[in-house]
This record gives sequence, structure tokens and C-alpha cells, in this order.
Amino acid sequence: MTSVAVDVGGTFTDVCVLDDDSGDIRVAKVPSTSDPLEGVLAGVEEAGIDLSDVRLFSHGTTVATNALITRRFPPAAMVTTRDFRDVIEIRRGTRDDLWDAYKDVAPPYIRRRDRFEVTERVDFAGEVVAELAEDEVREVARLLKKREIETVAVCFINAFANPEHERRAAEILREELDGVSVTTSSEVLPEIFEHERFSTTVANAVLSPLVGGYVSRLADELEQRGYQGDLLLLHSGGGVMTPRTVEKLAVRLAASGIAAGAIASRHIAALCGHENAIGLDMGGTSTDISLVYEGEPKVTKEWSVEYGYPIRFPSIEVLTIGAGGGSLAWIDEAGSLRNGPQSAGADPGPASYGRGGEAPTNTDANLLLGRLGTELIGGGMELDRDAAEAAIRDKVADPLGLDPIDAAGAVIEVANANMADAVRLISIRKGYDPREFALVVFGGAGPLHGAALARELMIPTVIVPPNPGVTSALGCLLVDVRHDLSEMYSGKADEVDAGEVEEAFARLEKDAREMLDAEGIPEDRVRLTREIDMRYVGQWRALPIEVEAPLESLDPVVEAFHAEHEREHSYRREDSPVEVYQLNVRAVGETEKAELPSHDADGGDPEPTGRRKVVFQRGEDAVEAPVFARDDLPAGAAFEGPALIDQLDSTVLVPPGVKVEVDEWLNIRMQIEQEDES
Amino acid sequence: MSTETDYKLDPVTLEVLKNAFVTIVDEMAEQILRTCHSFVIYCRDFSSALCDAQGNTVMQGSQDIAVHVGTLHLTAKAVIETFGEDIHEGDLFAINDPYSGGTHFNDVRIIRPIFHDGELIAFSHSNGHWADVGGSVPGSFDVSAKEHFAEGIRIPAVRIADRGTMRDDVVELIVSNTRVPSDAKGDLRAQAESTRVAEREILRLCEKYGGNTVVTAFEEVQDYVERLTRKRIGELPDGVWETEDYLDFDPAEGEGLVPVKVKLEIDGEELRYDLSGSHPAVATFLNSSFGTTFSGIVGGTKTFFPDVPLNSGFYRAIEVDAGEENSVINAAWPVAVTGFCSGGYEKVTNSVYELWSQVMPERAMACCFNLEYLLVGGRDARTDDRPVFMWYDWMVGGWGGRNGKDGANCTSPVFGVGLAVQPLEGQERLTPVLTTAHQIVPDSGGPGRFRGGVGVSKGGRLTEAEDAVMSYCCDRARSITWGIEGGLPSIPHGVWLRREGEDEAKFLGATFSNVDVGPGDVFTRPSAGGGGFGDPLERDPEAVVEDVADGYVTIERACIDYGVVVNEVDAELAEYELDADRTEQERKRIRDERAGWLKEDAEKVAERYRDGELDTMDAIRRHGVILDWGTGELFERTTEQFRAMLKRRAADHWNGG
Repeated sequence: MTSVAVDVGGTFTDVCVLDDDSGDIRVAKVPSTSDPLEGVLAGVEEAGIDLSDVRLFSHGTTVATNALITRRFPPAAMVTTRDFRDVIEIRRGTRDDLWDAYKDVAPPYIRRRDRFEVTERVDFAGEVVAELAEDEVREVARLLKKREIETVAVCFINAFANPEHERRAAEILREELDGVSVTTSSEVLPEIFEHERFSTTVANAVLSPLVGGYVSRLADELEQRGYQGDLLLLHSGGGVMTPRTVEKLAVRLAASGIAAGAIASRHIAALCGHENAIGLDMGGTSTDISLVYEGEPKVTKEWSVEYGYPIRFPSIEVLTIGAGGGSLAWIDEAGSLRNGPQSAGADPGPASYGRGGEAPTNTDANLLLGRLGTELIGGGMELDRDAAEAAIRDKVADPLGLDPIDAAGAVIEVANANMADAVRLISIRKGYDPREFALVVFGGAGPLHGAALARELMIPTVIVPPNPGVTSALGCLLVDVRHDLSEMYSGKADEVDAGEVEEAFARLEKDAREMLDAEGIPEDRVRLTREIDMRYVGQWRALPIEVEAPLESLDPVVEAFHAEHEREHSYRREDSPVEVYQLNVRAVGETEKAELPSHDADGGDPEPTGRRKVVFQRGEDAVEAPVFARDDLPAGAAFEGPALIDQLDSTVLVPPGVKVEVDEWLNIRMQIEQEDES
Repeated sequence: MSTETDYKLDPVTLEVLKNAFVTIVDEMAEQILRTCHSFVIYCRDFSSALCDAQGNTVMQGSQDIAVHVGTLHLTAKAVIETFGEDIHEGDLFAINDPYSGGTHFNDVRIIRPIFHDGELIAFSHSNGHWADVGGSVPGSFDVSAKEHFAEGIRIPAVRIADRGTMRDDVVELIVSNTRVPSDAKGDLRAQAESTRVAEREILRLCEKYGGNTVVTAFEEVQDYVERLTRKRIGELPDGVWETEDYLDFDPAEGEGLVPVKVKLEIDGEELRYDLSGSHPAVATFLNSSFGTTFSGIVGGTKTFFPDVPLNSGFYRAIEVDAGEENSVINAAWPVAVTGFCSGGYEKVTNSVYELWSQVMPERAMACCFNLEYLLVGGRDARTDDRPVFMWYDWMVGGWGGRNGKDGANCTSPVFGVGLAVQPLEGQERLTPVLTTAHQIVPDSGGPGRFRGGVGVSKGGRLTEAEDAVMSYCCDRARSITWGIEGGLPSIPHGVWLRREGEDEAKFLGATFSNVDVGPGDVFTRPSAGGGGFGDPLERDPEAVVEDVADGYVTIERACIDYGVVVNEVDAELAEYELDADRTEQERKRIRDERAGWLKEDAEKVAERYRDGELDTMDAIRRHGVILDWGTGELFERTTEQFRAMLKRRAADHWNGG
């Protein structure tokens, strides 16, 4: 049997096939197609997959993200409380570019003309202030039919406190409108704050028919071709869901795939015995950075596909910066050396690709420093060192009065510093000490920079997985079914009745079990985790605190909150009352995950395939370093840098003094001694 | 790596440290957001800065509120001036004094000196808008204040921590003067912590690069920005540009617009502003002190150089002569200045936009809606302990029409586009005010070839409120948000209040304080749209049809303001079509007659308004007549000034008319 992951990106559809018995990994790449279904099937064919032999088919897709960005979805409408139809256009009013008055926030997903109002109102406590005018709902239904609307979002003020009006309005709309998809805000996200709830609901509504349709068509196609399992779809929260759940919560597929790299780095770090890991996925144009703490990826609810339109479902926090192998080095008007975010892309690519690119990139600098060899992809591509040198000389070295090698060193130093700043943002800035983490580097360019970054950030261990170029797709094979449910529950912690909270949790857990049951997850594979969002009275943001079941008292939870507040923010306020804000249940249905093959240690000393002169440190002379072929490195191989390890899709740079070890999963582990241990 | 450099840094180290400074101030911001208590701060009314040992700003937060830009170095310098050598490791200082470079009393700044090897090398600086700092009205915005004593606690530079120990007595003195001391203390704590984050990171950089290198980088990062700015200025044509904008009125003088004059001069790489001739300080709290006027100039200028980082290097490249002492934009102690952000500051900023629109037509923009704060405060009778409540609200509005592009709809004020409006569901939980509407105001965008962005309206009904009063800090009920290059104004700001049991709402104007309100009273107010850009008769008629389909413009005003006749095909399908022939006729008629409309007898126009024959937009856009929008009383002098303004910004640019 095999496990298959298909990751549809903007340009390519990546297919990763893991043979469950031998552990061999096979990879295929085909161009993405306008109907992504064709690309997926073409990829399956290209990889020579026999679908009747597939145990698990996992899929990451940009279908939802692209539909939102291009506004290509079926005719959609919104029905809302009278005098509040502009909430989703008013947003919170902010603009992401503070200073550029010519850069605008994108328009809302549903045009103003398609937003309808009905009389109804409930207050903050859920009390009815104005009854729902059912005749108005029927009148709106008539207009929706006339406009041939296919999907409707029902969004009423304070519906989180009392969903009855939304429920009734949806019922009437369903009665009157056959085959139209109806989504209510209290079902999608029963949380306070109208714009955030409406925005999430509207995104769900516009995506429902489209994404639901795509997913069920794909499931049908796979079934016809012999696949007998469930199609699993990767969602932004780092879990998968089945087509059944997608029907209701299509919005969770927005940013599907972005989580895959984080999942992969968590898995690889865990194999190596690290519960804390920073994942660094550096490709041609950008770098994705993620963080796993105590075995869990960091998750955020503050994200959006487009600025201004939040999607308040948990999403794995991934910080993307414009630093990749193809990022351009340039001198700005005031004479400062900059790196990225502009990139030479795949075409023309770096100067050394010889395709007409004249601007120097990180790849060109690495080539000049000897860190990259002149052959890429196992000889499939030749790099032009002279072109790289000319580009660096003209655009960097001469203007700064440096020699080209020194300038190349400077280019890489700035790139590394930018990446290190980004890593600091998601680690130190959030209270995590990088010294307690392992750095998992992948993507084509990551392994060239890993050791230097680790040194800069005082991270002791660097791990390079066996196939850096496809590590991200591999992540799709390593996830569980996961749902996130929540309920508003507010009150001061010392006044809250623990029994009532317990009941609320029990309700959420019942819903969660039903969802998983419907997806065919057996009871013994269900894991439920409870969290209470808490804050000091007066604060605006809450911290999630994990709690045990059953809940008997809130006292230990309050204590845990003080401790977590202190860890995150360096202080606690014992004198200040603490408030319960929201209850969350994370429901995980464990799937049978792909297992990476393990190998017995082979003590033999690997032989280098050659030697290369490499500049490891700016300003220092080149050092002759042995070059190993990654395929030649067996489990158990160990040596000390300086060295280079070439492989098909990447090169690993091992600075002098760094100890290298190949583990039983063929990960390369580097121990980075810190210059200053004080 | 840790090579000590005595003077100039190599470009790589400089770039690395420059980016690290950006990261540090943004890290401070993140820390504040996660722990603050005041919702005003949570909605991003705060800023962070790293200053050098002399108090100059090395880096300011990339998401900071515009209004704080260019003021933080002044308060750092005030601390240095006050304490001199008596500044020690572990100290913390607080200051909110607008007469020493602060903005208004609500903006409390916490400043931490950073020492390396026993030497003072920097200050980290956190500014947050506390929801209340005492004074005569909840929220501390007393419009009628002429002197600052009614506006809450004034904190000159004081020491709040002494070598690592909090001076609890001083902290208590400060927070006890606010209406909600526990929130004030929580904010102070959050801000102090954010300055500590910066200290930690600066010391990390010192360890790595050496203290001298970091200190040198402080200086060179400022030089870098100054060099970049001067180079850009040098590439622009030399010249002098002048304009004036107006506050609504000075109560001490009766009706009549209050001029703010701004002159811009580019001379080689020199950039100079001269604000002499501006009106003397007004008898309300809308005056701005030098610090905030400087901030308006810096923020306005920066809008035309969006990619240049903000620090004292940028400020050094700008020379400002604020003119006569104690003018409306150069107010000194003890003149009240808390409302500066709706008053002088706002007028300076929009004037600067207008001047640069002439220097860089490709980035031109008409006037934006005025910052407005509505405050309802009292006791919340929904619970037995009747806590103090503050319904403290600000809205989005329309931004000015642009060259080739309509203005942005529903956007945060020029005060700072990072300032987020509050969710009404949150407000309803916290206060006994039920929001009656939050929606776009049709036709609020100033007509133009490129329409101003639309504004919104929001209002509420008081439920179980006791001892409640309402105050409003705004402007431009008379000095209406204007267009440029032939574009027309939008609509007036101002609050309408309908008392429980009454049928009609009364107009309370755009600045007032301490109006008693109680259960059942309903209030609302619009925010203005942006001014229009270019002659509205030259707007693409199909764009008007689209605006009608979405309800941004009504069918009636499509005809009046744009001369575009739109026919309804089927409103149920939102289908409308252009009547091209009648549009041509209508546009010709307007072109022929509009100059005359602007000269019509103002009192007659007022009469027609009172008779219900003309509405507010007709009076403003067609006739240039300014009235008390509640009673219809004519403001004669104001109208005269407004008409002169309209001629300069609109009529003079119209072809054939």
C-alpha cells in the first residue's frame, strides 16, 4: 500500500508517494491547471499511482484561497440586521499600508447591492429587542431567487448570544429557495465581534458551493479510479477534514497547505527527540517560518487571506518573508545594501542561470563563495560563475568599494540577518527562547543557510530532512483529522460556576464526537482537548489555558493563567481579577499516518566525491572543503565540518567545527557550538 | 564578529542593525497589544520609539499612529532636560505634558533609560492613549476647556521607578487622578514592560556587536534617513506653494472660519514650512501645540514618501517655522489643546496633503474626513454596583478623491489609519448603549471626476444609563471637507440628538461637551466623505451608474451633483442604465449656470433651506452657503470665506464655467 499527498500550488502540483512497506518516497511535479482537478489527476498519473493500492490520500489545495483573491465564486448575497449591511465594508477601518494613501484595502467579498436587510434585533445578552420580521425574510428570498443567488450568508447582530433569529431566517430561506446554500454566523463561528464573525461567515458562504463542489467531484473521480478511503483535505489549522465537513465549513480550506511545512518540521523534530522546533522552509522567492512548542505548532486566530477580512478559525502561524534563493541584492538610494523582497523568480532567475538575469541574487552570492557548486540537480543544470561574479561586481561590489567575494559575503550576511529577524519575531518576541529549539531547515535553499542562522540565534541543533525540496508536501501525510469548536462564555473566574462550564464543555465535546463519528473515526482514536481563553479583567486579548476533564474547580486554571501570562509577558498581576472569555474544544481523530523508513546504522566512513574552495565567513580566506553526495551518506555517518553535502534538490553547508551526524531516518543533524556560551 | 568600530560602520552591519531596530520597536508594539487595558490602546492608539542618549528618535514603530510621529523625541528630551545626570539604570519616567512635546494628556508616555557598561546609551519610549486621565468629563475631552486645568492630570517628566524599584506613591498619585485607576495601572504596567523588551534587545545587540557599534548605528541610521530624504527632495523642482484651511469658528469671536496658513518651500535639498499668519488660539480645546503641529507636518509629508523610515533623520530634513507664539497651531501653556487632533493638527495635515498634491500630482489627494470622538459617560445601571461606563467612539470616514482613483471608502482617520474602530457588540456588553445603526451614508463622498470616499453613520439609544453626559470632539460642520482641482465638498460633521418623547432631532454641532443625556435618548452622527478630485461633470457617467447600483450615490444626486441621468431598469435586480442624451443636456445646463448659483443671495438660499426646498448638500455644493444645519440660520461671514475657498479649489478649475 502507499500513502499519497497532492499539494496544489500556484504554479506546480506536487505529488509525493510514500511506499508504506519499503519507505521509499517518489515525487512528481506537474503544472497546475485552471480546473485544479485536472492537475491533480495528471499528477496522479505522472507519479504512476495505482489508486486501488492507496491507503491514504491527502490533499492540500489553493482552490479556496484563489477563489477569494480573484472573487471568482457563484452569485452570493448577505442577509443582515436592518441598518447594519455595511459592517463588512466598514471593517475595523484600518489600512495595512499606513503611509501609502494610494494603496487600498480590497473590496468586500459581497457587493453592497447584494447585501439585504431585515428587521430584527437582539441585545448583548440575547434578549430580543425587535422580533424577526418573517415577511421581510420571505420578500428577500423572492429577490434572491430573482437574482439567481446561489449562496447566502445570514449575519445578525449579537447572534452569538442568541442564534434563534438567524436559525429562523435560514429556515425560511431554505424553504423558499431550493438548492441555495445558506450559512449562518452563529453556526459558523458563535463568537462576539460582528465584523470578525460576519467576515468569516461571508467567506464560508462564498466558498461553499465552489469548494464543496470541487471536493466532491475529486472524491468521485478518485473513487471511480479505485481509491477506497476517505479523501482527506488539509485545513489551515494543521489537521485534515473529510468532504462531509467541507460542505459546512468550506472556509477552513482557505490557506490549506500553508500548514504542511509546519507539520512536517514538527514530525521530523519529534523523530529526533525535539519537542520544540523552528521550521524554516526557504524556496526560490520566499521563506516560510513556523514554530512548534512542546509538540504543538503555534496557532493563531488573527489571520486573513486578504487584509481586512479576518477568518477567525485557528490557523497555524506561518510567517512568510521575501527572502529566497532568487531574492535580489541591491543598493538603495542612500547607499545601504538591501536584500529582497523582490526576486528574480524562476525566469529570468539568478544571473548564474544564464537566462538573461543581470541582477545579483542570493544564489549568485552562494555560488561565488563556493557554497553552491556549478552543477545543480545532479548535473541537470549548469551555473555560470562568471555571470554571477559580473552581477555582484556591477551591482554590489563596485558601488560599495568591496571586492566581489567580500561583497558576496555581505549579500548573504544581510539575507541571513533578515531571516534571523523574522525568526526572532515568532520566537523571542513571543517569549520563546531559541536556545531551547531545534532548527529544521528545508526547501531548496534552506540547508545552505541553516547553520549560520542557528549560530546567529544561538540554536544548538540544525536538522536537514532527507528530501528538503518535498518536505512540505510530505507534511500532508502526517496529520490527523482535526476540528476546532468554541463557545462564548464570559464571567469573572471567581464567580463562574465550574459545573456550568463543565456542562458547556460536555456540549461542545458531544458535537465534536458527532462530527468525528460521521467521518468514520472510531471512538478509540478520538482525542479531545479543552481550553479556556482567559485574561485579566480589563485586558483585551486572552490567553488559551488548557484544562483537564472533568472540570471541578477553576482555581488551578486561574493559577495556570497567571503562570502562562508571566511566561508570555514576563509579569503577573495576582491582585487583578481574572476573566473567563471563551471555551474551546480541539477534537482530533487520529489517522494512520505514514511512517518514514528507519535505517540501521552503518559505521562506514563516507568518501567525499570531490573538494571545493569555500568562503565560510565574510572577510576570511576560502577553505578547501570536502564535498559529499547525500545519497552516499548512510545512517550513522559522522564527520566534522568544513564540508558540503550535495543532493538533487539542495546543498547542505557545514561550517568548520560543526559536527555532523546522519540519523536512522537519514536526517542530517548538525550540532552548532556557540561562540559565546556565557 | 564582535569587531569594535570607532566611527563609520560598514554597510552590512548598518543594514543589519537598522533592521534590528525596526524589529525592536515593532516588538514593543506587539507586547503592548497583548497586555493593555484601555480599549483605546488596544485599537492601536499608541506608539513606540527607540531614542538615542540625546533623545533623538532612532526608530519609530512601522504601524504607529500618525499623530504621534515626530513628537516622541521631544518628550525624551524633556526627560533629559529635567533629570540631567540624575538618570540611572533601572529608572522609569512618565510624562504626558503637551507643553513639553506631548500630544494631549491622555497620551501617557513611559520612558526607560538603557545603560550598557554603566553608560546611558538609549531610551525606549512607549506612548499609549489612556481611556481617561481625569478632568471635568469622562474620557478627559472637555471641549469647552480654555485652559488645561479642566482636562485632567498633567504629568511633567516624573520618575516612576528608582533604580529598579517602582515608586508606588508616585504611580498612585497618577492613577488616582483617573476615573478607572486599575485600568490605568494595567496600562502603565503593559507600557513599562514593552520598554523593558526593547532594553533586553538593545543589550543583546551590544553583546554581539559591541556598545560603540550600536551607538554609532543609532547615529548612522538617522544620517541614512536624512540622506535618503534630502536626495528625494533634491530631485523635485524648487518652488513655493501656499494654502490655507479652516477650523469652524472661535467661540470668542462668534461665527467665521479660523484660518490655518501653511507655506511649503523646496529649495535644493532643503524643505521648509512656514505657518505664520495663522489665527490666534481659539477659545476651545482644538488648538495644537508646536509638537503636534510638527507631527502633522511630518505625517503629511511622509504620506508622499511612504517608503522612507521614520526617525529624527527625517525630522532634521524638515525645517518648520510655526509662526507667531500662541496661534491656533502654536499654542503654549496653559491653552487647552486636548482636541488638537480634530482641530489644528488635522488642518495642518490636510493642508500639507494639498500642497504636495501640487508638487507630486501623481499622488494627489483631496481633503479627508475629520477625526471625531463621541463620548457618552455615566453610570451603568444594568448592575447593582452601577460602575462608571464610557461609550467612547470614533468612526471611519471617506478619504479624498485621488488622481485617477476614487477616494477610499470607510477608512480610519488621517490621525492614524492603524486606529481600528470598535466592534459594537463589544460596546454593547460594556455600556448601556444600544447601537442603532452602523452604515454608509449615501452621497457623502464629495463629487468629483474621482469621487471622495464615502463616510458612515453610527448612533445609539441609551438604555439603563444614569448621570450620563455626552461630549463631542470634531470639527468641519462649517469648514466642510473640501475637494481639489474642481472637486466638490462632502457633508458636514455634527451630532443629532432626539430626546425620549420628542419627534425631532436637534443638531448639537461638531464640538460640545457635557450635554445631559438619559434613557431613551437617541443620537446619531455621520462622518464626512472625502472631498472630490476634479470636475464632477467630467466623471465617467458609467461610474456614476455603478455607484447608484451600490447605493453609494442616489439617483437624485447623480443628477444634481454629476449631471448624470440614471434610469431605473429593475431595482430588484439592481439594474440601472445611463440616459446619455439627458445627461448631456443636464451637464450643459449645470455648466452654464453653476457659476451663478455660487453667487446667489445667501440669505435667500438659507430661506429655501429652512423651507425644505434645498437640503444640506444643495446649500454646500451648489451654493457654497454655510448654515446652522439645525435652525437654518445663515453664517454670513463663514459663507463668504467658504465661497472664496470653493472658488479657489473648485470653480477656478472648471472648464467653460
